[in-house]
Amino acid sequence: MKIIYSEIIKWLPDLKDDPKSLRDNLTQIGHFVSGFEEIDGETILDLEIRSNRADCLGYYGVATDLAAYYQIDLKIPQISDLKFSDSPVPVTINSPDVSRIQTTKISNLKNSPSPTWLINFLKLHDINSINTLVDLTNYVMLQWGIPCHAFDFKKAPQLIWENNTKYLEFISLDNTKINLAPNNLLITNSKEVISLSFIGGQNSAIDLNTTDSILEMAIYNRSRVRNDSRSLKTITEASIRLDKELDTETIPLAFSHLLSLLKEHCQAVISGQLLDIYPHPPAKITINFNPLSPSNFAGINIPTDFSLDVLKRLGCSVVQNPESDLSVTPPSLRKDILIPEDLVEEVIRFYGYYKIPTDTPINPQKFPDITPPILYLIEKLKDQLTALGYDEIRSWPLVKTSQDKNAVYTQNSINSDYPVLRQSIIQSLKSQLDQYLRYKLPEPQFFEIGKIFSQINGQYTEKYALGIYNHNPQKLESDIESLKLPLVKEGPRGVDNFSEIILDDLPKPDIYIPKNSPSQAIELTSQIINLDANITLDHPQDPRELIKQYSALIDPQILWSMQITDIYQQPNTKDYRYTFRVYYYNTDDKTAKKIHLKTFNLD
Amino acid sequence: MNQDLDQIKIQYQHKIENIESTQELEKIRIRLFGRNGLINDLFKNIKDIAPADRKQYGHNLNQLKSELESLFDQKSKSLSVNSTSIPKINIYSPNNTLPKVGHLHPITQTERLLNEVFQKLGFSLYDGPEIENDEYCFQRLNVPLDHPAREMQDTIYIKEPEYLLRTQGSSIEARLLSQEKPPFKAAFPGRVYRNEKVNKSNHFIFHHYQGVVVDKNITLKDLFGTINLLFKTLYGPNVVIRFRNKYYPEVEPGVGPDMQCFSCHGTGCSICKGAGWIEMGGAGIIHPHVLKMAGIDPKIWQGFAFGLGLDRWVMAKYNIKDIRTLLGGNLAYKPNEL
Repeated sequence: MKIIYSEIIKWLPDLKDDPKSLRDNLTQIGHFVSGFEEIDGETILDLEIRSNRADCLGYYGVATDLAAYYQIDLKIPQISDLKFSDSPVPVTINSPDVSRIQTTKISNLKNSPSPTWLINFLKLHDINSINTLVDLTNYVMLQWGIPCHAFDFKKAPQLIWENNTKYLEFISLDNTKINLAPNNLLITNSKEVISLSFIGGQNSAIDLNTTDSILEMAIYNRSRVRNDSRSLKTITEASIRLDKELDTETIPLAFSHLLSLLKEHCQAVISGQLLDIYPHPPAKITINFNPLSPSNFAGINIPTDFSLDVLKRLGCSVVQNPESDLSVTPPSLRKDILIPEDLVEEVIRFYGYYKIPTDTPINPQKFPDITPPILYLIEKLKDQLTALGYDEIRSWPLVKTSQDKNAVYTQNSINSDYPVLRQSIIQSLKSQLDQYLRYKLPEPQFFEIGKIFSQINGQYTEKYALGIYNHNPQKLESDIESLKLPLVKEGPRGVDNFSEIILDDLPKPDIYIPKNSPSQAIELTSQIINLDANITLDHPQDPRELIKQYSALIDPQILWSMQITDIYQQPNTKDYRYTFRVYYYNTDDKTAKKIHLKTFNLD
Repeated sequence: MNQDLDQIKIQYQHKIENIESTQELEKIRIRLFGRNGLINDLFKNIKDIAPADRKQYGHNLNQLKSELESLFDQKSKSLSVNSTSIPKINIYSPNNTLPKVGHLHPITQTERLLNEVFQKLGFSLYDGPEIENDEYCFQRLNVPLDHPAREMQDTIYIKEPEYLLRTQGSSIEARLLSQEKPPFKAAFPGRVYRNEKVNKSNHFIFHHYQGVVVDKNITLKDLFGTINLLFKTLYGPNVVIRFRNKYYPEVEPGVGPDMQCFSCHGTGCSICKGAGWIEMGGAGIIHPHVLKMAGIDPKIWQGFAFGLGLDRWVMAKYNIKDIRTLLGGNLAYKPNEL
């Protein structure tokens, strides 16, 4: 939800905070400002409104919260006197999903392109201008957080709210054909669909020639809107609001504001009655609240006077019970306040999370160890394998295909090329090997410990498996034997240089606390280059010292590794010839060769 | 072409086995592995292979190279041991090179770093399934069916709506609460899945690190102190953290821990989108409904829960520019420290 600083000031004329301070305070009290920018001389704050605070999907809700926080007055927009006629409005509600609707008819409209201030306002909220009437419905939605809609009366002289039983398709305002499903909440004229609950239709669109219009503002069963919006794959500014818990009590004020603006900017005359259909007004809830509980939750003393003051500022009605607790009734706007803990949060967020000390972690008292022993086994194996020179990898647990009838498939992954959960970790290791070979990584030996998955008759199972690869199969075999792990030589879990062991079946240690030894990992971006060089010495030298001596001459940012692959005593001269193999990375062939020649004096 | 490789393998296996001197072995080495040797020639010819067969051929060729090198090394060792006369060729003894060092994946290293901190605070570790059901991934975390909070996470389903790949480590929390009797403390690193397109900055697999404490008289002060320690462990003693109100359905009150932007130090930049702060996860006091659903009486027991993603931290720490690297074949380790 974007808010314009100058616009929020209209709701809160006594607000003294500059935009940056406002940003920080909004964030503190739960409305994280994820964007902050200047556009066309206006400061825009982009608020991350969490799904429990649908009241803040409009200026009214945000301003109400801020008025309580800053202890300043909220200024409701000016609404002119509205006189409704006695003429019935041709609206029928045949759906149980309508929680409340206010509707009327307006006539003698002088619709026109929108005034500049309105175009600019909508533009800053990423909404394109259409014409004054349509733009004002969007303006009111942004101000009050409740969508409203205008139908061209000449195109749609009768409106019925009903759940779909027979209609197949609908053409939306943006000319998109939407295939309908049973039970979708529709607005029809009994012959065709005029609108959905969250997007209008092409066949009743307002244009500059519109002179008469039926206006409506409604709140629906949010689950119905959510299901319709999701299943029809259509998300709109209206659906984002209507699929959450909105306040039906706000409708009269917001709808009056819309009519007032239409009178002012389109010279509209109200030509219908005010139809207010409100089948089941929600019951007010009462919450027992202990004024000491904010302190108990926060771990610091929060004065009870402060707690009571916050609740009253938020519009709660507070009654002292004969017992010690209070009876608190939250305002209808706040659909998220349902239990005492919600009230506690209200108090603490206004008191300030920043006042709670951060210097004392939880008491280190030990409770019985509930660690599953397999986690200790995994850590132990990781240490043993790295000690043997294996690198740990982690890979995608999803693979491209499986021939096995017990494979587990995902239904809706965006990454449709990889729909199957792996049944063997060797599949992942092979992909890894392909990548390493592409980068010409010398002598790869690596392992992964991760989950493998299968299903039988809809029962899903997952096990931990260890997969190992060594370029040298003899070493792989001897390493597995040295770890006293079961050696699999054949079948799907013992393929060539790969081996896989199911860990769930192995004995597990009672405890194992690993040592963490941080080491650097490298993101390869180009192939590793391998170059050889000979040096001749008149006396033997420790090869490892030679490696250290020569490797120090090369920038570690490009030196991958160095080996001596051969030591040869010349029969004639008795000199010793040492053959080096050097691996370079993060560089190109030409540079590597240049450095190589220089390092070993081969020019 | 693959048949040719098999023949080469058989031919050189035989040759290497029958070599009796290191000089002969050296000749074979040059013929096979020299710059103009057979293996290099075969690699050069790979461009002539039909595109459909190229990948398999490359794989087989690498396999051949690896196997012949292995045979070659073994032979050289055996010649070295058997040879008694001088001049001798002491080819490629294991002592001629630095020992190969194995490495843990950066995610594991980070998990261990945090495990150590939490184990010192009396935490156990915990685990749970990656294929979860709706009950443990959502409902027991106070997110009923059709709740708008579900939109916070794009779910990959196995069998909609019941079975899915867990979208959050909190599903382990739901398992833990229902399986263990309080008091307890547990931390649980784990892989989670969201239905997102994979590119340089987004992945459908993330790594979460979460923790839960259930005991008597647990407060936000305990939570803030614990999270503060966690972040100081990761980012050092000078890290600046703030705590703010943030909604999560499974906690009440909810908490959003933020870290002051490491790039601009709070003044606002492109990394923190001008905010000066970076969101670091979520936390809060466990919602009483969550405790009740697990059979834990919230009038007696309270608890806190926290969670954060590890991937971004690991990328920054290890200078990894592409998130795909964390689960891909281009993450590698130098075989030894030079």
